[in-house]
Amino acid sequence: MAEDLLERAPDVLEKPRAAPVETLRRADEGLRLPAVAPPTTLPLEPPLVPQVGEQTRAVGLRAQRPDSRYHGLGLTRYIDDIALPGMLYAKIKRAGISSARIKRIDVSKAEAMPGVQAVLLGREIPLNLFGTSIVDQPLLVDEIVRHAGDGVAAVAAVTEQIAQAAIDAIEVEYEPLPGVYDPLEALQPDSPKVHGGDTNIYFKKLIRRGDVEKGFAQSYRVYENRYTTPGIEHAPMEPFTSIADWDANGRLTVYASIGRITLARVDLSKTLRIPISRVRVIGTIVGGNFGGKNEIRHEPVLALLSKKAGRPVKGRFTRVEEFIASTIRHPMIMDYKTGVTKEGKILARQIRMVLDGGAYCSFSETTLGKASILAPGPYAIENIHVEGCVVYTNKTTSGSMRGFGAPQVCFAYESQMDEIARDLGIDPIELRMKNFFREGSMSATGQVLHSVKVIESLQNAARKFGWEVRS
Amino acid sequence: MKHRGRGIASMWYPVGFTGYSNPSGAVVKLNEDGSAVVLTGTVETGQGSLGALSQIAAEALGIAPNDIHIVSGDTDTCPMDTGAIASRTTYITGNAVRLAAEMARDTLFQVASGMLGVKPDQLEAKDHKIQVKSFPSRSAPIADVCNRAYNGVGTPPIGSATWDPPMVPMDAEGQGKPFGTYVYATQIAEVDVDDETGEVEVLRITASHDCGTAINPMLVEGQIDGGVYMGLGFGLYEEILFDKTGKQVNCNLTNYILPTSLDMPEIDEDIVENYDYTGPFGAKAVGEPSLVPTAVAVTNAIYDAVGVRITALPATSEKVLKAIKAKRAAEQKQIPA
Repeated sequence: MAEDLLERAPDVLEKPRAAPVETLRRADEGLRLPAVAPPTTLPLEPPLVPQVGEQTRAVGLRAQRPDSRYHGLGLTRYIDDIALPGMLYAKIKRAGISSARIKRIDVSKAEAMPGVQAVLLGREIPLNLFGTSIVDQPLLVDEIVRHAGDGVAAVAAVTEQIAQAAIDAIEVEYEPLPGVYDPLEALQPDSPKVHGGDTNIYFKKLIRRGDVEKGFAQSYRVYENRYTTPGIEHAPMEPFTSIADWDANGRLTVYASIGRITLARVDLSKTLRIPISRVRVIGTIVGGNFGGKNEIRHEPVLALLSKKAGRPVKGRFTRVEEFIASTIRHPMIMDYKTGVTKEGKILARQIRMVLDGGAYCSFSETTLGKASILAPGPYAIENIHVEGCVVYTNKTTSGSMRGFGAPQVCFAYESQMDEIARDLGIDPIELRMKNFFREGSMSATGQVLHSVKVIESLQNAARKFGWEVRS
Repeated sequence: MKHRGRGIASMWYPVGFTGYSNPSGAVVKLNEDGSAVVLTGTVETGQGSLGALSQIAAEALGIAPNDIHIVSGDTDTCPMDTGAIASRTTYITGNAVRLAAEMARDTLFQVASGMLGVKPDQLEAKDHKIQVKSFPSRSAPIADVCNRAYNGVGTPPIGSATWDPPMVPMDAEGQGKPFGTYVYATQIAEVDVDDETGEVEVLRITASHDCGTAINPMLVEGQIDGGVYMGLGFGLYEEILFDKTGKQVNCNLTNYILPTSLDMPEIDEDIVENYDYTGPFGAKAVGEPSLVPTAVAVTNAIYDAVGVRITALPATSEKVLKAIKAKRAAEQKQIPA
């Protein structure tokens, strides 16, 4: 290996090893300079003034985005480019255990550290719960830890490093509790219950049309398959970051990289128990969302730290926190049973699905809803039975993510369509064409569909791809 | 040895929330010179939605997208918005912007009707002018009309509107009208599968998407490219692994594998011609749907290439190789006829 490298770069050995002092000095200076873009004179072109009579077709135009120059020049101001005078940095202590009761929490060492300005526990939060449908998620856990990414305490300090050191100095004693980590086990009557009560199921959905048993009885063949999909991470380039700042009148401003500022304002008002008129949320340009930034995450915690310290507070998730303390795509288990005629017409489709919701509800209700409605696929089927549920487990919370259950069910219904086409010896295009929705078709929920272009999408794709039917 | 395969996947996807109200508000203000300001409570999340909203407002006002400045993402200054979620911005916020722009435009028509000597409903806004329909030679520059509205008549043109898709909540049997409209798409993938390593290389993807009217085809294509990227990760690489105690094992970018630019196939984007009468200028959505069919188009192509069906995502090389070996073992066990 080393010989290889030498062969490719024979002059490495011949070059003098010590660089001239001047070169080293310049390199050193280069490293000390802050990273700044080269100076740019703005604006880049004369200001645009409306021109009378200029053709103004706007819809359908390949118009330049208003933010493209900023992005192209590296001048976009993301949340992490914002620093307010006197700003502190927050860190949250993560439980690191999936199911436990907090027996003791000691923050005295953290509080005593120089540079630490505020420490916060869950019990200090006026309403220590949030959620978009079931309000079940604490901002900082007081008693019961339900997944390893739960926050248990928060610190604001003059630097991020001091805040981290203070977090490390917080002592927490846990009493481990039995946990459940598999959605099918969570359905068992004797499984540990993540939120108490007698079941881990927190939403069910049923969609019924026609009579599937009759459809299966009339079918030439019936196919039964199970499909599963994993939890995945949104992985935006920009992790969760927010800044909280109070003014002298007790009015709060939160800068946040969040996709839903109206909802964030309501949730801040509820958790802090202050009127909505005293909350301002400024949504910064979001550096990647994909559904992960649709609800508050740590903003009320930052607000309370800021209130205690009397200074603005910024909180920024690490990449690991982005994985363990945000939300992920719902892992799903889907059983598909489909009856077809000899010619490939679908007569009945029965679907059962279990969604792993993780520790808290988040956007599970709407994910289950969308998954159930979309589960039969873009096909006109007379007899449909869809039943689904979402269960709590002691794992990372599943929440909203681009597609809300649709990529999962599409994986299932289109895998099975391919399976059926192979088995019946019908070209996969022909099988789909036989079953597709048409303009005016009725969905499984009884909705009469308009603007249906699935046939055209397949025809276009097949033509552009150069699909040739094999005999 | 490498084997080539092709796979199809079609899908449908709804626009907006599942059977719940999810309104958007918008305010459109025309300035004295005929340029305009739009206020929206949504945020730019990288997809270019503010550009699309400018184009919608511009179309309604007969001015250019560059004449419009959008103020967004501030709860103090902007009207409420359910947000950048559920592929709803162009369709729902877009409808609110269109209605608000039309309201401001109606004020212009009132003012211009006095200037041009016709009834307001005889007027249209086009090419930076307010002009008489079917008689465009009688017209007034939009700047003159705006100026007159501000300084002559005393009715500065301001419009505000909200829009929420019409829905019927679902009942216990799941019957209802949960969404205002749906979009449709088909993607076809071509792959090479190495039967010695299980490695899957996606060569090209043809992605044909219905999004109603494409307000900006460039943004639609950008969404499709990003969606295919995400779909590839879902199909081939990405999986959060948990240990027996529910803790994540690969919670960093060093061991949670995302596709890189080197993994990207050639993408041929196609926009199906369509006009949805419920959307702003016929537009629907493309944000989330672009990722939905990619993974299964790829796994169907894997089956076509090597005859193994991946039923549990992701189709990692290890999983594909294991399936190929299992298939070979099963084949070997058969007694020849």
